[in-house]
Amino acid sequence: MRTHPVGRVSEIPPGSRRIVEVDGRSIGVFNVGGRFYALRNICPHQGAPLCLGSVGGTAVPSRPGEYVWAREGEILTCPWHGWEFDLTTGRSVFNPHRTRVRSYDVSVRSGSDEDPAVPTFPVSVDDGVVLLHL
Amino acid sequence: MTTTEARPAGGVRARGVRRGIIDTDVHPVPRSVDEIRAYLAMPWRDMYSGERRAFFNNPVHGSRLDAVPPDGGPKGSDPEFLRRQLMQEYGVSHPILVPRTFCNIQPDVDYGSAIAAAFNQWLVETWLGEYNHDGAFKGSITINHHDPQRAVEEIERWAGHPHIVQVVTDSGARAPLGQRQYYPIYEACQRHDLPLAVHPGTDGMGMNVQPSPGMPAHYIEWHCSMSLAFQSHLVSLLTEGVFERFPRFRIALLEGGVAWLPPLMWRLDAYWKALRKEVPWVRRPPSEYLRDHVRLASQPLERPDDDRHLLSILEAMDAEHVLMFSSDYPHWDFDSPTRAFPKLPDHLWQRIFVDNAGEFYGLT
Repeated sequence: MRTHPVGRVSEIPPGSRRIVEVDGRSIGVFNVGGRFYALRNICPHQGAPLCLGSVGGTAVPSRPGEYVWAREGEILTCPWHGWEFDLTTGRSVFNPHRTRVRSYDVSVRSGSDEDPAVPTFPVSVDDGVVLLHL
Repeated sequence: MTTTEARPAGGVRARGVRRGIIDTDVHPVPRSVDEIRAYLAMPWRDMYSGERRAFFNNPVHGSRLDAVPPDGGPKGSDPEFLRRQLMQEYGVSHPILVPRTFCNIQPDVDYGSAIAAAFNQWLVETWLGEYNHDGAFKGSITINHHDPQRAVEEIERWAGHPHIVQVVTDSGARAPLGQRQYYPIYEACQRHDLPLAVHPGTDGMGMNVQPSPGMPAHYIEWHCSMSLAFQSHLVSLLTEGVFERFPRFRIALLEGGVAWLPPLMWRLDAYWKALRKEVPWVRRPPSEYLRDHVRLASQPLERPDDDRHLLSILEAMDAEHVLMFSSDYPHWDFDSPTRAFPKLPDHLWQRIFVDNAGEFYGLT
């Protein structure tokens, strides 16, 4: 397994994402309420850049006539055909067992003094580095 | 490793791309309502606010989120970005442009026809003019079919333009398209050898009848039911003898679905054997008129789990002669030229993606 620094924690605040290119693969790294998740940036349907989609919640399965809005901030909707994916697992909402996008492990190395690959703005030593594991 | 902005990656050629594709349903969009308003006379200029259908808007998004032009503006409004995302990325050589005007929702046919005329002048001056240095863009004359007289005037006005390849109207209608109130339009199309394209989007809206028993409640129902209008229009065109009356008239069904065609023709051909005396001008089994007169655009192509099922439908419907590829760029249900179809035999790919449209629109 190889590890790639993606950026400082402060550069990817909750609700935001960063799309990186690793070994020719485009991968989206998402901060969901302080936890990081990474998904391949290709929709398994027709190859859309999935990680450019909108992030929000969804109406989870419910009884007829009833709406239950949930999973706010955890659902990624494909920017083309609107297929929904669970950001935390890469599994689709409509068929989690068969339709899924590749997900990757992400960790945070706290207080690192090692520079991330992409220099941006000065950061404090307490600002951890987000690491993508392939 | 490089970091990229959360922006479209247009211009990178998709894998498996082949060149020379003709995309028969592409939607150019004005940069602003004022672009259309500029072509409207008073009192319409002050009235027009870019009216679209009042409801059944997509609850997710109406167009690809990655189709926002780099310099901003509506999706589908930047010709260079459209060239990048459609032509460079997928090898499309000719996008056939179909503006979405929503003109035929208007109860006031003068207003509806004025909107159509404004869009036509806009299209000719921008996408078919200023933006068309290489002649790649081919366009459609929009008509308001509730107003056949003015529709014919629009056809006469633009038929000679070198980049106009068809006339277009909406499947949203008050009566099936085979009926005689529309014949002046078909006569004009035939006279100028321009096909008539039919595109959904105003079904059940404003003036138009909804092609289901009453109004559906949800966008998913309304959108899925759009193919019902196309089936009704096609049966009407065939049984009313439109192609006997206008033997060189041709029609393109855009975004109306594909896979319904074989069973509908099986039904119609079967009934014709017994009921032909009711419509004695239908001289041949109705399905036999398709190859000479009717084309279907592929998007949104139905995709069953088993590709073999779709391939057998393509064979049953004579896709080799009647099906033309379309993407519907930049709308949300865009069909990728490389991913929408299962793997096709080379000959069939060439017919669907290039030759059928090339021959239909005279682009070979």
